[in-house]
Amino acid sequence: MSHIRLEDIEKSFGSVRVLDRCTLAVEKGTVATLLGPSGCGKTTLLRALAGFVDPDAGRVVVGGKDITDLPPNRRQVGYVFQSYALFPHLDVAGNVAYGLKVRRMGRAEIETRVRRALDLVSLSAFADRYPARLSGGQQQRVAIARAMVLEPEVLLLDEPFNALDAQLRLSMQVELRKLIGRLGVTSIFVTHDQQEAMTLSDRVAVMRAGRIEQFGPPLEIYDRPRTAYVASFIGRANVLRARGRGGRIEQVPEIALQSPDGDVSVVVRPENLALWDDAPGPGWRGRVAFASPQGAQIEYEIDIGAADPLRVLVPRKVGEAPRAAGAAVRAVPVDPAACVVLAEAADGG
Amino acid sequence: MAADAPKHRTSGWRRILHGRGIWPAVPALVFLFVFLVLPMATLLAFGFVTIDRGRVVDGTFTLENLWKALNDDLVWRLMWRSFWVAALSSVFTLFLAYPVAYLFAESRGLWRALVLVAVVSPLLTSALVRAYAWLVILGGRRGILNQTLISLGVVDQPLRLLNTDWAVLIGMTQIHLPFMILPLLAVLAERDRRLEEASLNLGASRTGTFFRVVVPMSVPAIFAGLALVFAVSYTNFIVPQLLGGGAYATLAVQVYEQTIVVLDWTRGAVLATILLSTCFAFVLAIVAAGNRLARWNEAAA
Amino acid sequence: MIRRAAPIDVLGGAVLALVAGFSLILLVAPSLIVIAVSFEPRAFISFPPSGFSLRWYESVFANRQLTDSIQVSFYVSLAVTGAGLLLGVPAAFASVRGTFPGKAASNAFLLAPQMMPGMVIGIASLFFGAYFAFRASDAMLILALTVFCLPFAIRISMARLAGLDPRLDEASANLGAGPAETFARVTLPQLGPALVAAAAFTFIEAFDNVTVALFTSDVRARPLPVELYYLVQYDSTPAIAAVSALEIGLSFLIMIVIARTVGLERLGR
Repeated sequence: MSHIRLEDIEKSFGSVRVLDRCTLAVEKGTVATLLGPSGCGKTTLLRALAGFVDPDAGRVVVGGKDITDLPPNRRQVGYVFQSYALFPHLDVAGNVAYGLKVRRMGRAEIETRVRRALDLVSLSAFADRYPARLSGGQQQRVAIARAMVLEPEVLLLDEPFNALDAQLRLSMQVELRKLIGRLGVTSIFVTHDQQEAMTLSDRVAVMRAGRIEQFGPPLEIYDRPRTAYVASFIGRANVLRARGRGGRIEQVPEIALQSPDGDVSVVVRPENLALWDDAPGPGWRGRVAFASPQGAQIEYEIDIGAADPLRVLVPRKVGEAPRAAGAAVRAVPVDPAACVVLAEAADGG
Repeated sequence: MAADAPKHRTSGWRRILHGRGIWPAVPALVFLFVFLVLPMATLLAFGFVTIDRGRVVDGTFTLENLWKALNDDLVWRLMWRSFWVAALSSVFTLFLAYPVAYLFAESRGLWRALVLVAVVSPLLTSALVRAYAWLVILGGRRGILNQTLISLGVVDQPLRLLNTDWAVLIGMTQIHLPFMILPLLAVLAERDRRLEEASLNLGASRTGTFFRVVVPMSVPAIFAGLALVFAVSYTNFIVPQLLGGGAYATLAVQVYEQTIVVLDWTRGAVLATILLSTCFAFVLAIVAAGNRLARWNEAAA
Repeated sequence: MIRRAAPIDVLGGAVLALVAGFSLILLVAPSLIVIAVSFEPRAFISFPPSGFSLRWYESVFANRQLTDSIQVSFYVSLAVTGAGLLLGVPAAFASVRGTFPGKAASNAFLLAPQMMPGMVIGIASLFFGAYFAFRASDAMLILALTVFCLPFAIRISMARLAGLDPRLDEASANLGAGPAETFARVTLPQLGPALVAAAAFTFIEAFDNVTVALFTSDVRARPLPVELYYLVQYDSTPAIAAVSALEIGLSFLIMIVIARTVGLERLGR
């Protein structure tokens, strides 16, 4: 039985369908990430979990209990806002103690717990500072401490690293992951940053237009995307149209497929392609449109006569010069088994 | 060299026409200097020299008039009355205004428009008409409130509502209500709702959130409103005169009477000076109190 | 999906709604009562009115003193509005777009009259005039009221001006218009609604004013509020209610003008 279950959640704002039959199951103690571009509904889904949004249909179940009808102040899930939403009129200790005060806990008890929570996020020295005087990273830690001090079983975080600058982001992501791991809290993140999702999560839910397209461990999503959209969203991908015949792709017979003959899409990662001189044999033929040497790699754009150019990423030996623009080449997958065949016709998403 | 000169000559005009300079404001500044600063100086000065029919008799600077006024028991009693009427009406106004402002912030469309109309239309109505309205409502036997109470059988005899402290308080409170509502309205409408979501998430009820988050966050606006309402109440002489009756007086009423009725301009000037300076002091105290309560706000500045 | 509301929240909400409702009624009831009373056919105040009669309105227009004072009020208010706009709108420009040393001080000074009670401005003007042997007169009233009302005109203009996109001016210049032409073709049209609102607000504030007018107006040519001030002391007929109702009507019209131009919320800032 999963710790958190969202079942067929639907939500519309006016005529806009924001969530379309979203179903999600998160195991206890794991970290899940809702990943997608802005407008895909990921934040709305998170807010539905927290109770800030009332679903039009569907259920929210936490720890076996149906909490769909509970107002936000009775749900006991921790929530970290994108802007942290720290109370400006309370100092750090006051912010962290807020939930405890609402629960009418004793003064001494509150002090102990607040101190423990601040130690956990290494902010003990800042207890009497006001939020306006804290840096972005410090504010985030206060927000986390404020949620954690209530010892929730579930922690929800809405793009918590968005407001931080790039350097701080990576170190904070690792810190937070370690902290969550130590405490064993079931966590759900929301982000539009694919790298963040890969770093933080046990499982990733890729969302698009109110639907969850795929939910699984990051590498599984990377290796086995179920749709062209997911393939393009995680890492970079070439999604090519091809014909399947007799269990094989016509152009590249090495790639096998299960489905019957017909039009299919083949997902090939740029780094999974090698360039050969144009000669008879399997592969996609075309001309070099653009070559971008990156030092240890060369990135090519190959015009193969399709709507989008083929992107190829090959390792580069020192002293090696890129192929000239206009050169005729043949792109062949290095590991055919790593190519993913999708039944849908390519539209790129 | 030749290329520099033309640039220099035209830039002045351009500055004027683009309004980057101070010139467009100069007429207003001069006007205010002549018709505000100089008159104010005259007002202050008249308290400290001897005057006869508006002309200065001798240019001697004397503190005698000020001294006389400060030693006058009546002046202190009037000041005390002015103070507590203003203070009480400010507090009453706050308690009546806050829910309206909150309601406005939580509503949309038609309700918002209705609240605005209700708040702004009295603002644009003459102070005299509004005081007269209370005269009509509270007045003697024929006062509307009395007529209603008698016809409903609640009382046998008409209550003496007019010419009392309560009449003045009620009148002041109602008349100054828009001054408290408008600043609160702006602040509450633009507040950060995420903070309330955070409070709910941490377990507080909506009512708890109101008192723990919404109200504390609005403290700067509350004290700004209190200062404003206090100042206009303290210096208001129309309401105490009309609703308090002939024998009723506050410091502001005294200033009016000395200046226009008794024609003792020296005393009028001195009392006006005392009125202004004490008003200023009280307002500063209110603002300082507000700043103290909202110390967290300094961090953001 | 029905949520049960907590009892404390229901109570809190009820208290809030009750007080808010009471306050809203308190805000408008007095004016409405005065308007109702003005239609009373008998010669004393009664609510609800025992009938519907316009006799008191007729008596207002038959009363020479009242009609004279209404005229004085109109003419004075128009003059104050004109002066207020002529002085205030350019001042608003300097306050918003100016870059000169002492700008903060200039801005504060321009808005200073707001800090002064009307009574103080009135007395100060009276004394100042007396110093130069000028008595209370229409001219003194207009000057003093202009001082009192100037901040209103300036603030409304400033608010609108600050919201204009300076890049539109740059675009105009790029397309060949000189500074005067840009002002006439681009800035002024955008400013239009604010100017109307500023004029309307200044007008009604000058028309309504009692505190300044009591000190600076000529005894022989009293503006309406001053006339009413004396009338109230001895007249107990609904005549005053009729004049008041007319004044309320005027202020309502002004409110509509402001609502249609810059919106009523502007007055809170």
